[in-house]
Amino acid sequence: MKVTLSWLKEYVDITLSIQELAHTLTMSGLEVESVEEVARPFSGIVVSRILSCEPHPRADKLQVCQVDAGRGEPQRVVCGAPNARAGMLAPLALPGARLGELTVELREIRGLLSSGMLCSEVELGLTERGEGVMVLDECAKPGQDLNEWLGGTDYVIDIFITPNRPDCLSVIGLAREIAAATRVPLHIPAASIKTSAAGEAHGISVAIATPDLCPRYSGRALENIRIAPSPFWMAYRLHHAGMRAINNIVDITNYSMLENGHPLHAFDASRIEGRRILVRRAQAGERFTTLDGKEHQLEADTCLICDGARPVALAGIMGGLNSEVEAETRTLFLESAYFEPTGIRKSSKRLGISTESSKRFERGADPNGTLYALDRAASLIMELAGARPAGEAVDVYPAPIAPALIDLSLDHVNRLIGTELTAAEAERILTSLEIACGHTSTGSISCKVPTFRPDLTRPVDLIEEIARVYGFDRIPFARTVILDQSQTPNPRTAFQDEVRRLLADYGLRETLSLSLVSPQAAAPFLGEGCSLVELLNPLSTEWSVFRTSLLISLLQNAAYNRNRQMPNLRFFEIGSAAWKRGEAIEEKKQIAALLVGETGLPTWHSRPRRFDFYDIKGIALALLEALGLKGAVMGSAAGSFWACESAGLYLQGKFLGCFGRLDDELVQSFKIKTPDVFGLQLEFDTLYTLRPQVHRFEAIPRFPLVPFDIALLLDSDTPVGDVEDAIRKTGGEHLVSVHLFDFYQGEQVPQGKKSVAFSLNFCSKERTLGVEEVERAVATILAQLAGQFGAVLRQR
Amino acid sequence: MSENLSRLLKEIAALEKEFDLRLPEATTASELEQLKNEFLGRKGKLQSLFALLGRAEADERPHLGAELNRLKELLTSRSEEAARSFQHRPKVISMFDPTLPAKYPSIGSLHPMLQVMDEIKQIFSGMGFRIEEGPEIESEYYNFTALNIPEYHPSRDMQDSFFLEGRQVLRTHTSPVQIRTMESQKPPVRMIAPGRCFRKDTPDATHSPTFHQVEGLVVDRGVSFADLKGIVLAFAQKIFDDKQVRVRFRPSFFPFTEPSAEYDFSCIFCKGKGCRFCKQSGWLEISGAGMVDPAVFGFVDYDPDLYSGYAFGMGVERIALLKYQINDIRILFENDLRFLEQF
Repeated sequence: MKVTLSWLKEYVDITLSIQELAHTLTMSGLEVESVEEVARPFSGIVVSRILSCEPHPRADKLQVCQVDAGRGEPQRVVCGAPNARAGMLAPLALPGARLGELTVELREIRGLLSSGMLCSEVELGLTERGEGVMVLDECAKPGQDLNEWLGGTDYVIDIFITPNRPDCLSVIGLAREIAAATRVPLHIPAASIKTSAAGEAHGISVAIATPDLCPRYSGRALENIRIAPSPFWMAYRLHHAGMRAINNIVDITNYSMLENGHPLHAFDASRIEGRRILVRRAQAGERFTTLDGKEHQLEADTCLICDGARPVALAGIMGGLNSEVEAETRTLFLESAYFEPTGIRKSSKRLGISTESSKRFERGADPNGTLYALDRAASLIMELAGARPAGEAVDVYPAPIAPALIDLSLDHVNRLIGTELTAAEAERILTSLEIACGHTSTGSISCKVPTFRPDLTRPVDLIEEIARVYGFDRIPFARTVILDQSQTPNPRTAFQDEVRRLLADYGLRETLSLSLVSPQAAAPFLGEGCSLVELLNPLSTEWSVFRTSLLISLLQNAAYNRNRQMPNLRFFEIGSAAWKRGEAIEEKKQIAALLVGETGLPTWHSRPRRFDFYDIKGIALALLEALGLKGAVMGSAAGSFWACESAGLYLQGKFLGCFGRLDDELVQSFKIKTPDVFGLQLEFDTLYTLRPQVHRFEAIPRFPLVPFDIALLLDSDTPVGDVEDAIRKTGGEHLVSVHLFDFYQGEQVPQGKKSVAFSLNFCSKERTLGVEEVERAVATILAQLAGQFGAVLRQR
Repeated sequence: MSENLSRLLKEIAALEKEFDLRLPEATTASELEQLKNEFLGRKGKLQSLFALLGRAEADERPHLGAELNRLKELLTSRSEEAARSFQHRPKVISMFDPTLPAKYPSIGSLHPMLQVMDEIKQIFSGMGFRIEEGPEIESEYYNFTALNIPEYHPSRDMQDSFFLEGRQVLRTHTSPVQIRTMESQKPPVRMIAPGRCFRKDTPDATHSPTFHQVEGLVVDRGVSFADLKGIVLAFAQKIFDDKQVRVRFRPSFFPFTEPSAEYDFSCIFCKGKGCRFCKQSGWLEISGAGMVDPAVFGFVDYDPDLYSGYAFGMGVERIALLKYQINDIRILFENDLRFLEQF
């Protein structure tokens, strides 16, 4: 809501500086977003009276005016404005005057010397009106500096109005707040219309078929209208409130709405057929053309204003093309109705039309303010358009809406906000907001809330008003900060933080990515029978679906960095991925890691190597072991985004996730030009569920370890892991560790064979093991390996 | 003294002399090690003298044994002394260059925004708040309706939302977690909900369609606005580690709180005097807060006559940007290694 300081001052005495005023408004909940001085980009402009106007002898569209600029001698000014006429007061730019960038000079126009220039409002930068010269009122004195006539510096204040305060979408509403905050009275302009005897011929009857959508409909006919431009003061206020001046009737309905917050609509009365108004629901599919020339197809819930033959307005939203006020309009029917907020909101949303009117009705106008708004506008129309009332006002209000009555206990007030206010103080604040206060028999304050405050329906709403006007700043800071530690910490978030710390410890950098990705990026990560979670209203296709894997984010981050000469990356991220299985959305938290490129840059002591499968395997297993998730077994990876160098992880029959090389084509689709991209993706909640609750200590052996190395010749296709498992299984109770310390495939061993060497450690908890015992255990192992795998012991 | 004894004593003396002669020849640690082995090792020269002890007369053995032990100690201490001197000896300086780059371990890190989130979690955990979580894809019921934001109400427009089919949204705040928590437990409630939120904002220096919030909720008997002010002030001073930080509350509107407030911190850069960070106002706008609206209690079946509560929110990015003096929120989500490496 934008308003000029000068307009506000019409209703409330403001002695604060503009900065103080802005602070006061902000601190009472009306956040001032900006304050701008109204520019007057001119100098040397004086008031002048046009004494005479003659047609220019050599130009059809120009007039030659004699003007009195308060200098004794009349001056001759050539003027092209159609509205220049003898007797009017208008601003004159004398030679030497400045209009923005332009300096006015003595000039010859079609053979006649013009000693200045009569200015329009747009030339002066005061409004956007440029159709004719600016018309000054009779208070202006020829020769007076225009700046002086305009008065002191003015400001435009832009205030953010929260949706609960429809009353503050009006200048009077804002003035009321200033009055309450600064403890001064509020002046509301009177509005009453004296009507002559009701002229039956002008009568327009009103019927409401939808009192649920339109609880009240008031209206009044006016005749003898003369459509003309609005006076400057009105155009100026509208302009700085962000509305265009059109003509006096349209402007007055807008002005009245901005002033008191109640939207109005003016019909050309001669275009209302059958002299009747009917408020009804639209029929589904009914068509209607609004005054902006757009045709709409309506739904059955839309509230329509109709005359005897057809709809003439979308109730509370916009009038119709068929009944709008035009230059020839001589009689008016002015509507001031109250429409139910939800109905307006629904229609406005569905039709995609939001207007100043719908904005106010959907937030809640004042049902008991229709007649005031009607008569305020009517009196302005009478004053500025020469109109006469035609008959009495009509007012259909089948079920009047009464002010809310709320009992408020002072104790409740002080308990909720933590203050020690007295009843007198609370009542003073409420009264300043026009909430009438009395006392109940139980000692509460009985409050009667005016209907322009639809947001105040409960005691707590009044408490907010008291706190707000009292000042949030004056409410103390409680010093009793909570120290109670009775709650147990959330183990799931703690687990997540532990995983994050571990992965960072493994040399990975945590990233933080957007959750929204493109369908192209997300699709390859979808599981069987799953589909994408699509936004109905995305910002762009690039961010139109929820990520289906955290690996997408990591791949995008890798591409971003590789494009910036950082080819070697180790990233991780924990976050949610989602997809649809059938109709149901599944949201899953994932742990993901990515290794890209090489282990680092060459250094003086070592050459980097390309990341490989065993690097990502190491991260996966180190993490599981650190989390106490022991005994995970490997299976095949799930998902076509994995290359064949990949594996799945299972624990207690549950799928934990996968790791390995990512599919080359997929990697390329992310514009990453290296095949060395290794990922890890784990199911957060499966890990969390399987995590051990307690961590028990295992005794450190007191007796010496007996090491024993074996070197074996195996078939190339025998998995080393299987051999290791077999060793563990057959090694007996004293085998405490198995460690592969050498692996060789190549010329030194026969074709189709590979050589592996394990270092085994044996140890007993009770005694020092004898060599024979260990040798017996090794023999058992070797026998098993020979049988199971055809393993041959290599002599070294 | 037997002949045997005097011969042995001579050999002991000779061995000592030999060691003393040979010691300076050992100029590196490994040479010294070799020398020690030769004299003091299991098959070393001293050991072979010990072996002769058996052939000595029984009454001469103690004397001889003592002499041999003395020599052993002597040689040991001299070689140790020599070893120590190697450590300080400037002899190898030509090969040792301490200015060569270090062999760094592989360094990982936590994301700076999440580090700030961790800090916020820690501060509130320390004040007895429990951390709660909820889904990022929410029903309209939890995201709006139960927070007293009815379907056809202009307050739904306050947050530009991403909608999904089936009346679901990407949560626009972590406030739905309040509802879920209150549904599952009776008062007192003291929780924070850190998490990811979404709003349909075109990315620019101050907006991101994905952002993070920490929302706090306290419900108990007799909780007041003054308590809310107290907790927010305590937090403000902790997170910026500055007892001078002040907090300002301004009236505002949120459908789920009544009274509602916006709260500001006094500018941490200029101490409230006015600078470019606070747009000369002396205050940094942080977020919203207020007393839980009784209508919200209605949705979770809490008795509003018995309980009152407060709620507050905060944008974690906002605090991270302030803490690190970053001027563009987008850098947090770019994951540029040169940025991540700084934290």
